[in-house]
Amino acid sequence: MLKDFLVLAGQSIMHRRMRSWLTVIGVFIGITAVVALISIGLGLERTITDQIASVFGVDTFIIMNEGAFGPQAHGPGGSEEYALDLATLRAVEGVKVAAAVRERTAFLQGPPRSDGTPLQGFFPVSGLSPELITEFESFTGELKVQKGGRLFDVGEEAVTVLGSEIANRFQASVGNTVFVAGEGAAELSLTVVGILIPAEEDEGSRGVFAGGMNQSQNQDTIYVPYETMDLLWGPAKDVLITVVRVNPGEDVDEVADRAEEILNARGSEISAVTYTDISEVIGTMTSTISAFLAGIAGISLLVGGVGVMNTMFTSVLERTKEIGVMKAVGAKNGHVLTIFLIESGLMGLVGGIVGTLLGLGLSAAASSIIGRLFGVEMAVVASPTLILTTLVCSFGIGAIAGLWPAWRAAQLPVVDALRYE
Amino acid sequence: MGGSTQDGAERIHIYRTGGLAVPLLEFRGITKDYRLGKTVVRALRGLDLVVEEGEVIAIMGPSGSGKSTLMHIVGALDTPTGGTAFLDGQDLQQLKEHQLVALRGKKVGFVFQTFNLVQTLSAQRNVELPMIFQGIRKGERARRARELLIKVGLGDRVKHKPNELSGGERQRVAMARALANDPEIILADEPTGNLDTESGTPVLAMLKKLSVNDGKTVIIVTHDPDAAAIADRIVRLRDGCVVAVSSYGVEGESGVPSTGCDVDGSINEPSTLGTTTEGDDSHA
Repeated sequence: MLKDFLVLAGQSIMHRRMRSWLTVIGVFIGITAVVALISIGLGLERTITDQIASVFGVDTFIIMNEGAFGPQAHGPGGSEEYALDLATLRAVEGVKVAAAVRERTAFLQGPPRSDGTPLQGFFPVSGLSPELITEFESFTGELKVQKGGRLFDVGEEAVTVLGSEIANRFQASVGNTVFVAGEGAAELSLTVVGILIPAEEDEGSRGVFAGGMNQSQNQDTIYVPYETMDLLWGPAKDVLITVVRVNPGEDVDEVADRAEEILNARGSEISAVTYTDISEVIGTMTSTISAFLAGIAGISLLVGGVGVMNTMFTSVLERTKEIGVMKAVGAKNGHVLTIFLIESGLMGLVGGIVGTLLGLGLSAAASSIIGRLFGVEMAVVASPTLILTTLVCSFGIGAIAGLWPAWRAAQLPVVDALRYE
Repeated sequence: MGGSTQDGAERIHIYRTGGLAVPLLEFRGITKDYRLGKTVVRALRGLDLVVEEGEVIAIMGPSGSGKSTLMHIVGALDTPTGGTAFLDGQDLQQLKEHQLVALRGKKVGFVFQTFNLVQTLSAQRNVELPMIFQGIRKGERARRARELLIKVGLGDRVKHKPNELSGGERQRVAMARALANDPEIILADEPTGNLDTESGTPVLAMLKKLSVNDGKTVIIVTHDPDAAAIADRIVRLRDGCVVAVSSYGVEGESGVPSTGCDVDGSINEPSTLGTTTEGDDSHA
């Protein structure tokens, strides 16, 4: 029976083609705007998360100071140091590789300069896990050393790679020794194994997470193996960032939670941040913005709904007699109500289909323009959920707008309706 | 209007079956009041009417005499204000709205003066309409609709829209529609009112045939003497009362008003009812 009502409603719409189209136009303008804005928002989100994913991969998470990440983050993200027991972290079930960066300022003494005196002073010292260089290049960017030098290997201690600037100031070269004073009586003589290529010669190789690496000062810094930092200062609250890769097949979120729990139980104050966490935060931000824009676009949708209501009221008036006839031949009030609701719902739905197509087209066009302007590959997203929701909602908007007129039609006393001219 | 007798009501109808069966339609002392602003219009004032199955009844009377109101009540489109109305043994006043809907969907078929076809639908779809509301399956519906259109002589017009048909053809489509759910009663409200004699004659012939061949009860509200000519009985109304019952061409029972008919007219004289000077429809 519903199918018959659908046909009846469709025939009635087609009979008033011009007016029906005008009503549909009123609906699809709103839908187009909403769909386009949400799609652009989704595309933006996809683009950003894709970029993050290219750095993270699906098997990697980072450990940051507790509260440094997320909506309640305080201070500049990731710049607060924390204490870390790297050995414990590496022992966490599911962890394949863990690499960390710690940084502090220490008293250094270089090799004797040309005048015979060594340069002394306080300089930044970065402790890098060698794995960071070998396993997580997407985080660090490629560290390039000048000819004749090398980066340090896993297991090495008492070696250093110098930033080009500090190398100049020390007048040090590969094979020289740099003296570092550690905590208390701890001190080490480090052999220079490599010197970094100066920044201006190294354009474009910066890692995405440069902040964690303090990239802007990297030519000012001496780099030592992470374990060497332990020898000098022991475990201290000077870890900037830790990157962890999980074993293949492990759920990265699960391992991250486990690591966070174990480390925090041991007194660290850290949070493990996975790709999912970052995506969520970005997703929240972009969807808040899209929701706001879509809300504004929704106003035009409301106007479209009022248009449907107006059309339906006119339709009820001019079909008063027809309604009377339908009731005289046995239509229940519910039947009349259903026919009119389907009719208004159909107009909403057609508006929804046209609006969705136009909206998706518009968002694709806008994405390509934005992409060209900012030189990025913007993802074009045609979310099935969005499309489905839009279609259901557009039918709903039509039906709700038609509810009152349809109810009025159903309530018409049959005798009066038949007499209506 | 003198000559009132005690058993007037009984004399209005003749029990063809010897008074044993329950009549198809039994109206006793029916009143119907409408409220128009502050005045109450008394459309029916204690009307008695009994109709047997298979009869053709013509209801005549001047405008405002209550013909249409009576028609609406017989068709379960409206309920009386007072009195008792039995249709096929069911008390119309006791029925709920959905029961009335079922009643007019299945037991009654309407034919209107202005045809009242749905303009957007083809002849066949118009005939199918009452069956759609009864939930009859599509194939069955289409088959029956075509059958009925052939029966009314429009087998070659099934796909035509109403505006592609002549007046007579439209009224025949309307008759096919009235027959869609095989009702017991056909109610025709001025079926020839908008037709010339040429196209009206087949319509009347068909109505008569429905009674004779199919045993349908046909009630025609009309001004048309030709329409009255096919009736077994002519019921004359005036001011909401039955004033005479007769056969065609016979002066009916010397204008006997039904007992209990409230003709004092204290609230509304005919003028208030909008009676025009059409005069009495009695003829012949």
